[in-house]
Amino acid sequence: MPSYKLTYFNGRGTAEIVRLVFAAAGTEYEDVRLEQDQWPELKPNTPMGQLPILEMDGTMLCQSNSIARYIAKLAGLAGKTPLDQARVDMVMDGMVDMGNKFAYEIYYEKDEDKKAEKKKDYVEKYVPQFFSSLNKLASDGGYFAGDELTLADIAFYNMTTMVNPYLEQPLSLDGFPKLQKVEDNVTSNPGIAKWLKERPETPY
Amino acid sequence: MAPKYRLIYFNLRARAEPTRLLFAAAGLQYEDVRIRRDTEWPALKPNTPMGQVPVLEVDGVTICQSNAIARYVAKETGLAGKTNLEQAQVDMLVDGMGDLRGKQAAIRKASEDKKDQCKEELAAFAPNFLRRYEELSGPHAGHLVGDSLTWADLEFYDVMAKVLMYLPGILDNLPKLAKVMDTVPANKGVADWLAKRPETPH
Repeated sequence: MPSYKLTYFNGRGTAEIVRLVFAAAGTEYEDVRLEQDQWPELKPNTPMGQLPILEMDGTMLCQSNSIARYIAKLAGLAGKTPLDQARVDMVMDGMVDMGNKFAYEIYYEKDEDKKAEKKKDYVEKYVPQFFSSLNKLASDGGYFAGDELTLADIAFYNMTTMVNPYLEQPLSLDGFPKLQKVEDNVTSNPGIAKWLKERPETPY
Repeated sequence: MAPKYRLIYFNLRARAEPTRLLFAAAGLQYEDVRIRRDTEWPALKPNTPMGQVPVLEVDGVTICQSNAIARYVAKETGLAGKTNLEQAQVDMLVDGMGDLRGKQAAIRKASEDKKDQCKEELAAFAPNFLRRYEELSGPHAGHLVGDSLTWADLEFYDVMAKVLMYLPGILDNLPKLAKVMDTVPANKGVADWLAKRPETPH
């Protein structure tokens, strides 16, 4: 088996989805966390000047979702059929949209009044509508594709928990019973449960 | 018999065009449905997975998210990359191109007084970005990954055709990338599509 080295900063951020997939897959990897002052030297030696990167067998991959999909595929967590894989991909992309909307409209907004208004809109309108769509896509058993845990379920859990600390209260899954099941399936996966207990506490 | 695949989008290239290029390159039949935003979209919207288009209907399943659709069609057409690693490399290059696409689209979306600023941002962003892509481009000239056409080449062609409108000389010293711009339209299916596709604002 190749040796995997994941490099990111000391935070969850865009690397966490990869770490969660490694955990669910039970695949060993080196979890490298850079200090900010180590980054300038490495940056020109990365494919696109960004982190995370994954190194294995002399190859470097970048783009967190591409890395996550690659590892998930090898572990059978990316969807069993081409259509299931497409379902996984569309949910992953939807979660990225949800995260980006939060980042660009709220997190980076400097005007406090605008920020508060956008946050209210996000929590009261956008997320419930989006979760309603996602709830329809999930199975009764709490899986977005097939009847086993996939990268899509992990992506849902990862993004909602990523956004929650920045809100007054965690996003509610009330009225979305299948999404609650998705979350339960993710957190009760043995590899993920172990990682959630052991992972470093970080500000982001 | 109706084609197995039904792609639904507005009458634009935009987010559906890479998928159309994939179908064209492989000569795979599909229904290219173009809906009117004013009269047809409101009724369709609640019946889409995430209230957005494009969507792809296949075997009673509806897929949304343009890259998820394109990746599925790329796999169906054998244009996704030949190994797991190649597929990951194709994926990462397409992901990265989203940034270039965004900077270019920002020009179009900007109000008149902001357009020049957006053009400057594209001009500042593109050279470094493309230099990296030239380095990442694989050893087989005209193909970003592996030795044959992939989704990455088609995506690159689609984005760069627009970027070159603003920065015409930008690929002059980037021979591998420039070759991709030749290789893609040399594919017969793509050439036929480029010649006959509807003219649209973007």
